[in-house]
Amino acid sequence: MSPRRADTGGRIDRLKTIRFTFDGTAYTGHAGDTLASALLAKGVTLYGRSFKYHRPRGLLTAGVEEPNALVTVLKGEVREPNIPATMVEIHDGLVAISQNRFPSLAWDINAVNQLGGKILSAGFYYKTFMGPVFGPLKGTRFWMFCEHFIRRAAGLGSAGSAKDPARYGRMNAFCDVLVVGSGPAGLMAAKAAADQGARVMLADLEPLFGGSANWSEETIDGAPAADWARRTVAQLAGRDNVRLLPRTTVWGYYDNNTLAALERVSDHKDQPVKGEPRHRYWAIRAKSVVLATGAFERPLVFPGNDRPGVMLAHAAERYANEFGVLPGERIALFTNNDSAYRAAVALKKAGAAVVAIADVRPELSPEMRKLASEAEAEIFAGHAVVATEGGKALSGLKLQRFDMTNGALIGDARSIHADCLLMSGGWSPTIHLASQAGAKAEWNAARQAFLPPKPAQSWIGAGAFTGSFSTAEAIAEGRTAGIAAAGGQSTPSVLPVVEAVPGDPDPAPVFEIRAKGKSFVDFQHDVTAEDVRLAHREGFVSVEHLKRYTTLGMATDQGKSSNVPGLAIMAEALGKPIPEVGTTRFRPPFAPVSIGSLAAERFGDLKPERLTPMHDWHLANGATMYSAGLWYRPMIYGHAGETVEQAYVREAKATRESAGIVDVSTLGKIAVQGPDAAAFLDRVYTNMFSTLAVGKARYGLMLREDGLAFDDGTTWRLGEQDFLMTTTTANAGKVMQHLEYFLDVIWPELKVHVTSVTDEWAGAAIGGPKARQILAACVTGTSVDNAALPFMGIVRGEISGVPVMICRLSFSGEMAFEVYSGAGHGTHVWEALVEAGKPFGLVTYGLEALGTMRIEKGHVTGAEIDGRTTARDLHLDWMLSKKKPFIGSAMMDREGLIASDRLELVGLIALDNRPFNGGAHIVEEVDEANPHGSIGHITACCYSPALGRHIALALVKGGKARQGTRAHVSDPLRNRFGPVEIVSNHFFDPDGSRMHG
Amino acid sequence: MVERQSPEPLSPLEPEFHVGSHGNFEHGVEIILTETRPGSIVQLAAWPGEEKKLIAAIRTVTGLALPDGAGGGLSDGVKSVFGFAPGKFTVADEAEGLAAAFAKVVTPAIGTVTDLSHGRTAIRIAGPKAEWVLAKFFAIDFALPAFPTGAGRSTTHHDVFAQIQRTGADQFDIYVFRSFARSFWKALCHASEEVGYEVQ
Amino acid sequence: MLITCPYCGPRDVIEFTYQGDGNRERPDPASQNFEAWNAYVYDRLNPAGDHNEIWQHSGGCRAHLKVVRNTLTHEISSVAFMRSDHGRGDHGRGDHGSAARRKAEDKA
Ligand SMILES: [Zn+2]
Repeated sequence: MSPRRADTGGRIDRLKTIRFTFDGTAYTGHAGDTLASALLAKGVTLYGRSFKYHRPRGLLTAGVEEPNALVTVLKGEVREPNIPATMVEIHDGLVAISQNRFPSLAWDINAVNQLGGKILSAGFYYKTFMGPVFGPLKGTRFWMFCEHFIRRAAGLGSAGSAKDPARYGRMNAFCDVLVVGSGPAGLMAAKAAADQGARVMLADLEPLFGGSANWSEETIDGAPAADWARRTVAQLAGRDNVRLLPRTTVWGYYDNNTLAALERVSDHKDQPVKGEPRHRYWAIRAKSVVLATGAFERPLVFPGNDRPGVMLAHAAERYANEFGVLPGERIALFTNNDSAYRAAVALKKAGAAVVAIADVRPELSPEMRKLASEAEAEIFAGHAVVATEGGKALSGLKLQRFDMTNGALIGDARSIHADCLLMSGGWSPTIHLASQAGAKAEWNAARQAFLPPKPAQSWIGAGAFTGSFSTAEAIAEGRTAGIAAAGGQSTPSVLPVVEAVPGDPDPAPVFEIRAKGKSFVDFQHDVTAEDVRLAHREGFVSVEHLKRYTTLGMATDQGKSSNVPGLAIMAEALGKPIPEVGTTRFRPPFAPVSIGSLAAERFGDLKPERLTPMHDWHLANGATMYSAGLWYRPMIYGHAGETVEQAYVREAKATRESAGIVDVSTLGKIAVQGPDAAAFLDRVYTNMFSTLAVGKARYGLMLREDGLAFDDGTTWRLGEQDFLMTTTTANAGKVMQHLEYFLDVIWPELKVHVTSVTDEWAGAAIGGPKARQILAACVTGTSVDNAALPFMGIVRGEISGVPVMICRLSFSGEMAFEVYSGAGHGTHVWEALVEAGKPFGLVTYGLEALGTMRIEKGHVTGAEIDGRTTARDLHLDWMLSKKKPFIGSAMMDREGLIASDRLELVGLIALDNRPFNGGAHIVEEVDEANPHGSIGHITACCYSPALGRHIALALVKGGKARQGTRAHVSDPLRNRFGPVEIVSNHFFDPDGSRMHG
Repeated sequence: MVERQSPEPLSPLEPEFHVGSHGNFEHGVEIILTETRPGSIVQLAAWPGEEKKLIAAIRTVTGLALPDGAGGGLSDGVKSVFGFAPGKFTVADEAEGLAAAFAKVVTPAIGTVTDLSHGRTAIRIAGPKAEWVLAKFFAIDFALPAFPTGAGRSTTHHDVFAQIQRTGADQFDIYVFRSFARSFWKALCHASEEVGYEVQ
Repeated sequence: MLITCPYCGPRDVIEFTYQGDGNRERPDPASQNFEAWNAYVYDRLNPAGDHNEIWQHSGGCRAHLKVVRNTLTHEISSVAFMRSDHGRGDHGRGDHGSAARRKAEDKA
């Protein structure tokens, strides 16, 4: 045992030794230790350097609110910065390092910043990065140069750049009652709710349930409180309507009682169990919530209150009672309230000498005097600490007589020799979740604290959270809350009997001792009391502005210990009472949350993706896949040594010379069924579908309500009341929602059902001069000649014993057919077609060749139907029926949509025979040095094997009238300038003789 | 099973379907994953007011008498049916030919029949941790009182739309779009690792 | 935020798609009244308080819902099917599983 470690007591297992390193030094601790308690047991006093001034800092607390002792934990290459040492459970192999120090924690070069305290005052960053506005350095880059070093000196730990291999999980949970916090109030609430038969979840951010019962040394029903907690937890664990979540921080309280929590599942283990996540993000929907989140003890603000060895009183009590570690041997206390006296007794019992209790109050109760004498401590009533001494550890402090009515210090200071100073500035209920949930906190003058607001959502408070600081109250309130949250009726019952030291819960209204030296309010952001006053002198009166200007409460601890003292000092400066200054609203998260847990299983391999039925065939046959939205589609089927361009040119050329086949399974497919299906399609499409014969398909165009083009595709009439609509791949979901909206909201009287059948059908488009012969060679049960299968005709037959539907339509401009089969048979049919095509020189082609052939034909896709173009802009006005109204018909003829200078679809040919880039601008006169005067832009481009030219589709102002004229491409980003000819978008086979055969 | 006219359809899960025990299975598996591969999956939709006739048609074809109530359903181990939206039902059968059978009894006056035998993939998850694993994906309450045996639910995980039927106290059948099936299957296996799972 | 779908029960807002202001009235399809069309396509009330909204349960039953939501507090005071012929008490509508649940509870 180390000298500071007691032989018995607490939550640690002294038989289990754990080995870890801190800043490269090997240490040992025990199972149950935090990094903080283990290092403290070894006499470590220095844990970090402060944010701005690089002052040495020790442990201020023992819990989640720790602002000083932030460390970086290394796991292989992965580093996680800014974790409070108080929240790190040690395990074998743990590697932790300190932060914000160079070159080492003990000797930090930036500690000279302390000397420049006046410069690094409130609003320092705002002032500095403006740069000088007069003088010799005005307008120079000198300040930019300085900024680099200033930024380097300030800050916390640095994030790593290695990929985090850890697994993160997400969990959805539902319960009747969620209890947050497992102190006596939370345990009672959980038990009471569970007894009512409710589904209960109990979450606590600590590894061990029990809260203050673990360190209060009180007795409940005659046994140590910690034993009572252990027994209660065991009872809860045995019930199947209770889920216990230790190491789980409830960090967000959202609408409709939806709460977010982070469970640290395996951070405390050397190795997670296979498949176990590091963190699990819980999204909890609770019918009601019991908030039993306790309270945070507040520091007092006085010169030197940040010196290592100065600690919150209850934190020392926790270290002594929960971990068996003494934070010092000669301990002094400084308080404005009764709760510190219990700590004095506890530390005395644990073996420390309590040398002095300085209390700002002139009159002390007999009970407190009794406790002080039990601790064998000298009492200094009406005194305050005005200075601390020491470097990396405390060596002593100075006391002076203090008048709490006016803050005056009287007489001479006297020195006291001590290696540890405990302070208590009263308690602030942990109301963060309640504040997130809605209403504003209310100031309670007696408690000198913000108490939880009236619930805006379905929650009930219990224990210290409500300002009831005694364990007996916590137990009573917990039981009542648990029963009420479960919807039960409270009946009188015998409550566990608590034996505790007495104490008045109300502190004296003293937050700061004004004396010479730096007095810290926000330890983590190095904000002093003087900074707050400076902000006030500079004109900041709103608490929201004060917070942002000084950065008070904006560090990773979110001001858990500093908010109230900061407000009190601001109120004093303003000459207003605290409730008039107000408080800021707490926002999620309560404590830092790993990004990994939020992204859980939505990245990398686990991102959802859509695969066509022929996906594996494509991979096995040399396809390079391309992700289009969530879909994966072949881009090219490259041969060895081919570039992408060579591959698509070969594929497109072969298709036009003999035949090509492409997977079109990704096209959106919607079954439109019912007696009113045809009438519905007439309203949805700009052209007529009620006149379409069964067994025929038609190309259709849809507009949006505002008259702009929306989507296009062919729709097949499979039966009198049965249509198969196809959409573009990208718009499949949008079109489906569009149809559903009109059927559900606008025309509920139409008897039409729409169903997504995209995944029901595998689609293969086979086109080219030999396509019909290939089909004839493998299709049975139907003829595919011109009589049986005219343009836009549909037949049913079989390929390789698989039923297929074949429609003769063309996107490539060739004689082409779309062959649809059940998705499970897609590969059978595809392979049969490829096999049948072999003697005819059939090639498989990908998206690149598909795009090339559609550009050659001048067909439009999403690049041209971009939400800004009209049917006329795309030369599709021939599809706008005049015989009927349709969606968009009323708005499509608005002035602005029929103007002559609109961007219209044209074709471009590169006269310099160099490739185009998508997005490049078109100009009338090129000026490379000063590019301007865009008249349009390129939407798609390729090398056209059919024309032997670099071509593009473009949207150009008044484009139709410009056909046959010249312009220039102007693409300064990629330095591509050159002359172009503006032509019709129909580059190739404009009269369609090839597809009509 | 009815003899198939056409070749056996390919499963979209094929390359990722690894029979055997996986993950943290040394202390036993708590999840069984499998693909049920029904011969038919059909969607039925009634016009408003015609639901009772559609329910009768379902009884005629499958012998399953649907319970009253939204999302209610039934399964006899061979055939399954459940409501997933107002007036809409999913029916699955080990045998092929369900769409043709329904086409005969669901007249245009009652509603529509849509064959989704190829378009949906049915994945079964069973075992004591089935609720636990599904809760990782879907924000619905899987507890038995909230989600009784036979009942169906429509919900979404990220972009993956799913219809889920509880076919046993510890067993759920999940119908997902075929194109998403492999991706979803991989995620399901991944999520089952921590409790140990077996693919059958 | 949760929306209680009349068919599916309470679901997370992530399952729903906002489909616009529920106060719009679509003019007669054949109408050439530009003002009316313009108001329908572009005008929105944007109230601070209770608002009639259309939400589709796109990640569930896909029904469109008439939702009254307070834009200041997110409080939802009513949810109903857009279609008046849903939720009339016909079979399978409007009771989001309560009958089935009752049955299960009776058995248990
Ligand atoms: Zn719904």
